[in-house]
Amino acid sequence: MGQGWGPSRWAVPRRLSPLPPALVAAVLAPAAAWAHADLQPGGGFVAGFLHPISGLDHGVAMVAVGLWGAVLGPPALWLLPLAFPPVMALGGLLALLEVPLPGVEVGIALSGLVMGLMVLFEVKPPLWLAALIVATFAVFHGHAHGAELPAGAHALLYSLAFVIATGLLHLVGILLGEVRRWPGGRALVRLAGAGVALVGLWFLERALA
Amino acid sequence: MRGPLAHLVPTGLGPWGDGMARLVLQPLDLLLLVALVLLAVQGGRPWRDRLALVLSLSWLLGGGAGLGVPAELPLALPCTALVTTLGMLVSLGPKLRLHERLDERVLLTAAAGLALLFGLTAGSSLAGHGGAIEALLGEAVAIAVITALLLMALAPPHPRWLALGLRVAGSWIAASGLLMLGWLSRQPL
Repeated sequence: MGQGWGPSRWAVPRRLSPLPPALVAAVLAPAAAWAHADLQPGGGFVAGFLHPISGLDHGVAMVAVGLWGAVLGPPALWLLPLAFPPVMALGGLLALLEVPLPGVEVGIALSGLVMGLMVLFEVKPPLWLAALIVATFAVFHGHAHGAELPAGAHALLYSLAFVIATGLLHLVGILLGEVRRWPGGRALVRLAGAGVALVGLWFLERALA
Repeated sequence: MRGPLAHLVPTGLGPWGDGMARLVLQPLDLLLLVALVLLAVQGGRPWRDRLALVLSLSWLLGGGAGLGVPAELPLALPCTALVTTLGMLVSLGPKLRLHERLDERVLLTAAAGLALLFGLTAGSSLAGHGGAIEALLGEAVAIAVITALLLMALAPPHPRWLALGLRVAGSWIAASGLLMLGWLSRQPL
């Protein structure tokens, strides 16, 4: 039936396909090209992307937005992450325009504490109130973090990466919140809320000290 | 006198490659086309079908005209404001019913006008540099390819999660634009 182990099946092809060498060349060529390139724009993107992730106060609050959205369910599940980035950017814009905002550090710490408690106790206020709470905290986060451009970095790449990383942290929170569908998941999400609240409390103590 | 290729990051791939890379490394043009594609896929078909061609040709036309401009046009602020507005329109999405209220030809003409303006700005920033024409052509090709790919990948009908994802992407564009407006107000580029 032509299914044997004869030499015709396993013979080495006489002519190698040009594709593998071309692939190797394609992979290696950019490395050579970039070796002498000005990587400043890429640096702006990396700095912007790492900034929200590396700051614990910002990071846990962003995850908490997603967690709380999952607790609240639709439409808050997608409305909060949809509204947060522009409002946060508005806070950043205020900072860049040198509009003062009192108690920024306290506001950021409170965001972790309040949203952690909301998740812990599964508080479900009306949608408009939840949006207002999240939007208020978004302004503080934007004011503090959105305007920290490293010297020489490309501003738009930095801003774009900062927003993308923040949005992905929301997504992490939403995905964590979806664990509630599983047995024992609800307790796990509440535990995560407690963790966020504790981190917020710690930052609040530092902000007030 | 401008420095050699001050607005192009040297990739080592020549002016063509530098022009293509410019789209990603100085992404205002990229944000414009992504926002327009998102608006298009949220709405009507005729606009969507012609967008890739109209965007790239208009951008190239504007870029060619920009090469003849003696000084770099200070249009970064209005261009960023336009991208921010487009991002907001995308994030508001179906609630606006933009495609029901406006004729498709109006939307297509507006998209062409925007591409022309952005091309003009890009062309004026490249004017006087060696390899500016090749770089401009490279970026126009990149615009056509990316627009066509995005239009194919995001063709409706959209499942609910993707429809939401498109709106989230619009909100991210709007947020980046808002931050950029702040930077520009502090230090005009």
